[in-house]
Amino acid sequence: MLKVSNITAGYGRLVVLHALSANFARGRVTAFVGPNGCGKSTLLKAIMGFMPISGGEILLEGQPIRLIGRKALARRIAYLPQECQCPDYMTLGELIELAGYSRYSLVGGPSARDRQLFAEILDLVGLADKAGCQVNSLSGGQRQRAWIAMVLAQEADVILMDEPVNHLDMKYQYAVLGLVRELSARHGKTVIVVLHDLNLASAFADDVVMLRDGKVVAAGPAQETMTAANVERAFDFEADIFSRDGRVVCLPRMSHAEAVAA
Amino acid sequence: MTRRSLVLASTPFVLALAFFANISLGPGSISPAGAIGALFHMEADSYEGAVVLYQRLPRALIAIYVGATMAVSGAVLQGLVRNPLASPSTLGMNAGATVFVVAGAYLFDFGMTAQGMAALVGALFGFFACVAIARLAGGSADPRGLALILSGALVSILFIGIANAFLLSDPARRMDFLGWVTGNINHVYGDRLYAFWWIGAAALVLLAALSRSLTLILLGHEKAASAGVRVDLVSNLAIGATVLASGSAVAICGPIGFVGLVVPHILRPLVGSNLSALLPACMVTGASVCLFADLCARAAFHPYVLHTGVLMDLLGGLVFIVIVRRFYLSGSARGLA
Repeated sequence: MLKVSNITAGYGRLVVLHALSANFARGRVTAFVGPNGCGKSTLLKAIMGFMPISGGEILLEGQPIRLIGRKALARRIAYLPQECQCPDYMTLGELIELAGYSRYSLVGGPSARDRQLFAEILDLVGLADKAGCQVNSLSGGQRQRAWIAMVLAQEADVILMDEPVNHLDMKYQYAVLGLVRELSARHGKTVIVVLHDLNLASAFADDVVMLRDGKVVAAGPAQETMTAANVERAFDFEADIFSRDGRVVCLPRMSHAEAVAA
Repeated sequence: MTRRSLVLASTPFVLALAFFANISLGPGSISPAGAIGALFHMEADSYEGAVVLYQRLPRALIAIYVGATMAVSGAVLQGLVRNPLASPSTLGMNAGATVFVVAGAYLFDFGMTAQGMAALVGALFGFFACVAIARLAGGSADPRGLALILSGALVSILFIGIANAFLLSDPARRMDFLGWVTGNINHVYGDRLYAFWWIGAAALVLLAALSRSLTLILLGHEKAASAGVRVDLVSNLAIGATVLASGSAVAICGPIGFVGLVVPHILRPLVGSNLSALLPACMVTGASVCLFADLCARAAFHPYVLHTGVLMDLLGGLVFIVIVRRFYLSGSARGLA
């Protein structure tokens, strides 16, 4: 579906991604984890074409992504940036309607089918009764679900999300990622998600990719990649790994945490 | 019907009211009914008909043009540079157009058409100068916040100073421009409106076509691009359109501030920030505000006639303070600065 091969990218002289390769199969959820500044967000921006790539190639179903126009790309890849801002006085209904931009003609608006889709998606994220509310008046969790609804309403096959559950409490972290996982399973969406929390990654992703300094430390199913050795290589941090009901859980060692704090 | 669509639907009625009030009220012996009658009669076969058709109607149409173009430009610029204080007057466009028109007329004896072109070039130059100074001062390639507004103020002071120096240099011609340079909605500029109206109309059509893309840009460049907007192209076209709109308005009747800055702020809480609704609302309401302001400028200080631009600057200064307090000095909105 989406293939990143040997890409090198950075900001000016600072090279963030070093010949990074990854392959994303249709219908799978891939989580990128790694320490701050390891290049997780940069990779998503590079895929979206928001920063120049000095080497390598990104292919979407075999086609170089840089050759796909903005509107055509928007129909195939949707992206949720880390920080989203909504102007004051914009309602949730207006926000989600903007998601269909790539399908509208210059003068036309959403079709009846679009409107039905938007209503279904709002229902799916539990905001069906909030369409008339201003986005900035919603609670933090509701607002994050609103942005996720907007990404879904774009109807793209590939969804990139940069830390979509930051600022959410535990319940919504699980609800939102559970929703993403279900969509991927049910509709065959390819999801690439940047996460901070290893335990969320192992709970919701089919594959986990650990990055450090723009290079892949380990990639594959969570059970294989989330080992104490890999966590230490990626994060410089000692942790114990437990497995329970087929789920891997990472628990940082307190002694090490205290050492870092001191 | 929601409150928003109600407000939106009522704006044309307000405009109609403003237009007929502007046409029919005024000093002299013309009765409101007579004035409106003359408007529909459309022949200057009487004193009333002549005053209405050759004085009040051109004035009203100029007020509509200036109000519509400035308010729409302000709404677009506030979104594009993400600054609540942005408008053609605060980003150096009006001052740039003013100094280019005066310099063109004084140095090269520009006629009306050439002055119009000079105004467009000047508006673009003023905007670039404002952004360039903000970049230099702020050390950032993408200046926002107060730095941009302060450099706009700096550019405006400099350009208006230069324009005034030209005016002082030639007392004989000073009278031609003295009214114009302070923003003067006056029937003598009717021929300028006749020559330039299509520029603003074209700019407004372009901005209307871009309104959905511009609304997406309000969500941030990356979000807009990921939804399919060609952000750089749309931003450049939109800035070009605001330059054409405000430059042509300055070419007609001189720099008129306030409308572009304030009308979008009045309307956002009422119709929302979706530009597909906000821009038409700004266009119609900006025109109404200018018509009422022109009426005030004429009638409030009777028998003296105040220049509309001066009245607008007085009001604009007050509202400027309110906006600065609300957006820059309140704790919750510090992020904008």
